[in-house]
Amino acid sequence: MSVLALLLAGPLQAWGASARFARRTTEHAPTKSGVIGLLAAAQGRERTADLADLAGLRFGVRVDQPGTRIRDYQTAKHFDTGKSMPVSERFYLADAVFVAAVEGDDTLIDDLHRAVQAPVYLPYLGRRSCPPARRVDIGVHRDQSLEQVLADQEWRAAGWYQRSRKRESTVPLTTFVDATPGDSRNDSVRDLPLSFDPLHRRYALRGVRTDTVDVPNPKARRSAPPDHNPTILLGGD
Amino acid sequence: MHLTRFRLNTVRSGARRLLSSPQAMHAAVMSSFPDVLPSDTDTPRVLWRVDRNAKAEVFLYMVSPAEPDLTHMVEQAGWPTQPKWQTYDYTPFLSRLTKGDTWAFRLTANPVHSIRRKADEPTKLTAHVTPRHQMGWLLQRQEAAGFRVMEKAPEQRRLPEGDEYQLVVHDRRGRTFDKSERESRGKKTVSLVTATFDGRLEVTDPKALRRTLTTGLGRAKAYGCGLMTLAPVG
Repeated sequence: MSVLALLLAGPLQAWGASARFARRTTEHAPTKSGVIGLLAAAQGRERTADLADLAGLRFGVRVDQPGTRIRDYQTAKHFDTGKSMPVSERFYLADAVFVAAVEGDDTLIDDLHRAVQAPVYLPYLGRRSCPPARRVDIGVHRDQSLEQVLADQEWRAAGWYQRSRKRESTVPLTTFVDATPGDSRNDSVRDLPLSFDPLHRRYALRGVRTDTVDVPNPKARRSAPPDHNPTILLGGD
Repeated sequence: MHLTRFRLNTVRSGARRLLSSPQAMHAAVMSSFPDVLPSDTDTPRVLWRVDRNAKAEVFLYMVSPAEPDLTHMVEQAGWPTQPKWQTYDYTPFLSRLTKGDTWAFRLTANPVHSIRRKADEPTKLTAHVTPRHQMGWLLQRQEAAGFRVMEKAPEQRRLPEGDEYQLVVHDRRGRTFDKSERESRGKKTVSLVTATFDGRLEVTDPKALRRTLTTGLGRAKAYGCGLMTLAPVG
């Protein structure tokens, strides 16, 4: 088994799991369907293609920089008829950074790694208007579990964000990982893609386990200079 | 020899004037000795250093051959209703120093070297500005000064290179101030780079260390540089 890690960072991201109709919401972290869609697009699969192998990958994501949720009020006119289209509300995560990872057998992961390096359809962060700001691929890890990779990755947040938490030498980051059968506490999200067919998209429920990992902060303040009192030697306080 | 500690009342304008100009502080320090005359460099002299431990905890340390009277400093920059400074006899401690002792030390210094940029140019005194070069400056002088900065155990090092010693450089500052306060004399601006070293040392040559502690290390001794003090290893 090996793990492919992806860096999802950009000015805007949008990861909808329960978004329907004119109100397009976003979750606080990338969804499995969104990332699987990104990988399938990189491989050049069509919308109607079979997804069973990708949906079978274990998925996990780490919130390196939570970002801010912003709301967009969008109007549109039909191109041909000039009729007003329904007004829609679109939510985005601004300035967020995530590390996502998928775990699966070596050949599939290698194939996905090649696809991400030379994608057929360009990757985007949940919505076509949200391009990634940095290189998405951050490497394949052999013989490591998904949890281990998420815990070992360096903190990928922006420099200003790391400096804003300089008082903390290690930072707790939230992770959302596919639940395993033994997990007692988990949430379920309708987020496991069965088909991206535009005529009939189908998703199944997915169990999610929430956890935190501690990573070192490279911008943490250096330790303060020690106290120095030379009068102690001479009988002072 | 005497070691004196005086706490400055940082909200007073007098204290601010002294802290903003090493020239003014030097004048105030020298005014506390009625008898001191300018002397040659190898005899004990008056050394001073300002330790800014916190915004409202600023100490002036002085090492001097004679006992100082800081009444004028208390009146301008201290707490006049509770006049307080402590002078300790430094000689017994200095004579107790023995080879192999380990101490924590603090030193504020002016690390400089003489360089030329081109072959046909006279050398010019130039400040070391990076922590690495400033550390290098101290390590170069440690042997002649009678001590050795202790090394870190390999498992405590946080960098593959440049973190070999139990030594930190902090409070690095470049300061500029006027040498004369009066306009009529023509202002002369002094610029100075200082750095404070904190670390642990081992005494290798008690006699040389005694000389370092009483005559100072490096340049700009009139401007609060060169005074090294020792404290128990905590």
